[in-house]
Amino acid sequence: MAGPPPPPKRPAVATWLPYALVAPSVVLLVGLIAYPLVFALRNSFYFWNLQMSPEPMFYVGLANYAMVLESPEFIASISNTILLSVGGTAIEFVLGLAIALLLSNQLKGMNVARAILIMPTTIAPIVAGFLFRYLYDPSGGIAGWLLGSIGLDPPAEGLLGSTRTSLLSIMFADIWQWTPFFAIVLYAGLLSVPQNLVEAARLDGASHWTIFRRIKLPLIMHTALIVILLRFMQLFNTFDLVLVLTRGGPGTSSRTLGYTLYQQGLIDFNIGMASAMTWLIVIMVNAIVGLYVFFAFRNWDW
Amino acid sequence: MRNRASTARTVLIYGALSALLVLFIGPMLWFFLLAIRPPATAFAIPPVLTFEPTLKAFRHTLVDPGANAAQAWNSLIVSGSAILLNLPFAVPAAYALSRFRTKAGKYVMLWYLGLLMAPPVAFLIPYFILMTRIGLSGTYLSMVLVLQTLTVPFSVWLLKSFIDEVPKELEDAARVDGAAWHVVMVRIVLPLVRPGLIVTSMFAFVFAWNNAAFPLVLSSQSTATLPIGTLGYFATSGVSWSFIAAAAVAAMLPPMAIFLLLDKYVVRGLTFGAIKE
Repeated sequence: MAGPPPPPKRPAVATWLPYALVAPSVVLLVGLIAYPLVFALRNSFYFWNLQMSPEPMFYVGLANYAMVLESPEFIASISNTILLSVGGTAIEFVLGLAIALLLSNQLKGMNVARAILIMPTTIAPIVAGFLFRYLYDPSGGIAGWLLGSIGLDPPAEGLLGSTRTSLLSIMFADIWQWTPFFAIVLYAGLLSVPQNLVEAARLDGASHWTIFRRIKLPLIMHTALIVILLRFMQLFNTFDLVLVLTRGGPGTSSRTLGYTLYQQGLIDFNIGMASAMTWLIVIMVNAIVGLYVFFAFRNWDW
Repeated sequence: MRNRASTARTVLIYGALSALLVLFIGPMLWFFLLAIRPPATAFAIPPVLTFEPTLKAFRHTLVDPGANAAQAWNSLIVSGSAILLNLPFAVPAAYALSRFRTKAGKYVMLWYLGLLMAPPVAFLIPYFILMTRIGLSGTYLSMVLVLQTLTVPFSVWLLKSFIDEVPKELEDAARVDGAAWHVVMVRIVLPLVRPGLIVTSMFAFVFAWNNAAFPLVLSSQSTATLPIGTLGYFATSGVSWSFIAAAAVAAMLPPMAIFLLLDKYVVRGLTFGAIKE
């Protein structure tokens, strides 16, 4: 019995070719990334205040790391950052999924609504910060007035001026900006769910909820896992919003790791401590992404 | 009966949709009104909806003296140059990573994805000191260079997803006919992915345009980009809210326009090509 004909042979490509094509981008990026990391690693062992000296001043061993780990600002930043990124991602995902389900009712005008709905996500986070600083203004911002009119009086210091609401206000701005992102992406995921599967389940008498739980949700899980990771990391790195809205205050109530690092390095010019903090953050980020990829994408087919 | 139920359902869906649009678009409209309302009404309680609209803030920020127009121009130069510099690095890499699947290639893709999720602030301090030392601080070039850490990985990912869609058989046929690989890439693959190249460049432009962290520490008074220039209004005593709004609206329009234009590709762009609609 004759087997299938052999596929037409194509001339072999030099084995170095793919490497040569990828190399320029890798070299560029290694150069751009390695420099800051090596710079930070070296300087994390030195005392160096940029206002006192243009060069590292003296070797201090691990003292910078110890100081960072003991500083109340850093500790507060860790818990704020975790709260912000876990809470923000979870709320955005749930709201986004609900909106995606709403959009998947193929009614007239849905496409227009979808195209407009994504607008908050398109603007720069720093610009979203300007916008919310206006809405949150303690004397005459519309957010306080709206809250007051439904019987929830905002704190007298303003939403951004109170330790109870500052971090939540930042989170709300982020939720406003990025819920549409989840909605649009998950909606695209829902569209790819085969309609005949849904129809078959419906004929078998499955409820909307069952169809959602047993068919739609598992089929969009892959999409969901990707966007959850992307968003979680963006939130973990939040910096622009904090810079514009609260500068980490009042006290340490809204400090994120990103903002604390910025303040340590580029406001206080304490390069040694900022460098130690950089490495601690880089290690944290890598650990989170590594664990997530390991558990979520284990069975991922490339 | 069934008809009435489905009518009620339709009304409910449109009601929910309208509420969502108010919630998500309302704040942007309110901010836009800030730019065209008389400053005296900006913080009125209860909020004032009827006023004589004025373009004074736009005129002041963008025309005369137009400080923010120069910054918009800076933003355009920086983002435009960033995507131009990015292409010669990203295009060959995306092509190779799409066509020659190796384990090493997979790691490169993962590393690029990792870069897109890296904390930008971690790099700000070293870049600030490095650029000051080599005399590039405050130049367009410094910003364009460090923006490559975002635009190159982004473009490689997104462009690869477009090249993946070009059937390999087309290339094989040409290769069998004896065409060299670079001829195949330039003559066959690139023309076919031209829409992909344009889409990638436009999203990379938005990425660069919206970046505030790098210009925050690397730009000077004369090279400040639009968001950084707008931030400057907060430093002056007596915050000029209508100017902030006018400048911010100018910063918002290009990304909004690009997203509306590329509606079909928005999901793909936002997920770096990982998810296609």
